[in-house]
Amino acid sequence: MDFEGKYNIKSPAVKRLMREACELKEPTEEYWAHPLDDNLFEWHFTVQGPPATDFEGGVYHGRILLPAEYPMKPPNIILITPNGRFETNKKICLSISGHHPETWQPSWSIRTALLALIAFMPTPGNGTIGSLDYTPEERQMLARKSQMLECPSCGKVVEQLSSSVSKPPTQEESSLIRQIALKAEEQPVEEEGENEEEQQPSEDKPVRQRLGVSQHLQPQSQLQHATVGVVSSTSDSYKNWLMWFLVAVIIFLIYRRLFLV
Amino acid sequence: MLNVIVPRDLYDKTALTGTMGDEKQVSSTTFDTDANQDELIMQQQRRIEKEISETTALVGDLEGLGMLEDEYAGDDVYCQKVHDLAGKYKSMRRTRPDGNCFFRAFSYAYLEQLLEDREEYERFRDLAAKSKNSLVELGFPQFTVEDFHDIFMEVIDHVGKGPTFFSQKELHKMFNDQGYSDYIVVYLRLITSGQLQRDSEFYQHFIEGDRSVADFCHQEVEPMYKESDHIHIIALSAALNVGVRVRYMDRGEASEVIAHDFPEGIHPAVHLLYRPGHYDILYP
Repeated sequence: MDFEGKYNIKSPAVKRLMREACELKEPTEEYWAHPLDDNLFEWHFTVQGPPATDFEGGVYHGRILLPAEYPMKPPNIILITPNGRFETNKKICLSISGHHPETWQPSWSIRTALLALIAFMPTPGNGTIGSLDYTPEERQMLARKSQMLECPSCGKVVEQLSSSVSKPPTQEESSLIRQIALKAEEQPVEEEGENEEEQQPSEDKPVRQRLGVSQHLQPQSQLQHATVGVVSSTSDSYKNWLMWFLVAVIIFLIYRRLFLV
Repeated sequence: MLNVIVPRDLYDKTALTGTMGDEKQVSSTTFDTDANQDELIMQQQRRIEKEISETTALVGDLEGLGMLEDEYAGDDVYCQKVHDLAGKYKSMRRTRPDGNCFFRAFSYAYLEQLLEDREEYERFRDLAAKSKNSLVELGFPQFTVEDFHDIFMEVIDHVGKGPTFFSQKELHKMFNDQGYSDYIVVYLRLITSGQLQRDSEFYQHFIEGDRSVADFCHQEVEPMYKESDHIHIIALSAALNVGVRVRYMDRGEASEVIAHDFPEGIHPAVHLLYRPGHYDILYP
């Protein structure tokens, strides 16, 4: 990992991420995480399924996308391994239970996020966005299958966790972790800062595609409101068709007039 | 929720984004019936925040109070108060209304004075250096507190070089560098939270509802962009033992801008102008 040349190491965000990379260098039995070789703002991670739950024995791999404003704004977590609790390839972010992502605290870290993810897995999904409520059998089956997963950039996922026991969370840390909730983002991807795009050129196409039609339509329709003011969306395709028809008729009439004169 | 008070010059533009937001709300219900209102409000807020950050510096240049008079031309209540303010202060410095304005205004105004005041600087540096351990003892995660503390001390050490080697101009530049500026805000938020929790019995009386002091800190003090109330100012000024005088300019009856000192009875080092929801720096 040679980031010195690529990033401004005087920037507090870069300093902070390099520090976190150093802190998380040694994997534990619970989690493993490291930045991609060419992008300090995108990490891959693996967490162990919490013992004595349907996820026991599972190893779950995913990505962490860090906003340019990190640690002022929260990291986004994307699970790659099918798990039956969270949708895969969808951004989920952290907040204090029952509050908005604005309650993310800069003093939390990637480690906090991963521990919170593990703790949050067995909680009921209750139909919140990005949540799945698979049956225990399905989850157990996915947990067994998860051991086979291989990531193109990280290799065999199951081999990443180490047997060394992790630093146990302090009392405050564990009470904090229990407070954190994870929830999928609803905002359209385009709303994110452009900075993030710049720093994460590999910003995922699949995620965007998965995010669904409605979220794509919003910004698009806004644009059209601003420019044309008539065509507002594909659901208005009838209006659209009608407009083109009228345009064609007008053109036809003009031509006819020209020829008649 | 973050109540951003927008300076007058931004007002029209923000109103515009407001209507765009409404339009979007209407159009999006057509496509996305699940969209919850909170999310839409948040989206609109993000747009307003973006707009503000593009047009207002984190900490602005020094300006005379004449600007303020122009701003409120035609508004009798405010004009009277601006007039009163102009009799008491020479100039002001605006800060970005992003919910962090109290912390940013306070730290800027205070560090600017430390450039010239060696004795006070030594006292403050000592206090700041020791503050990390007391935060860790209170249960804040050591790893991240260290990170914020290191940057905070880096800035303070720059200030310690004195005006010949670290000019006011350089301090100004640092405060307008989002990275450094926000790190200073975070650390002051942590100090404020620490003070509230250390003296929670006292501060509990100021908190409405049945929230504990710790909950209040996690929800209203430690997260960025959360606005400051009296309780934040009381706690921070007490923790650092630095006096703050706030001048209130609102629609109240009085023709004067009322002053409130925190903590009471100590010489105010920092003067701030409060207009509902926002703090700027004042210079006597």
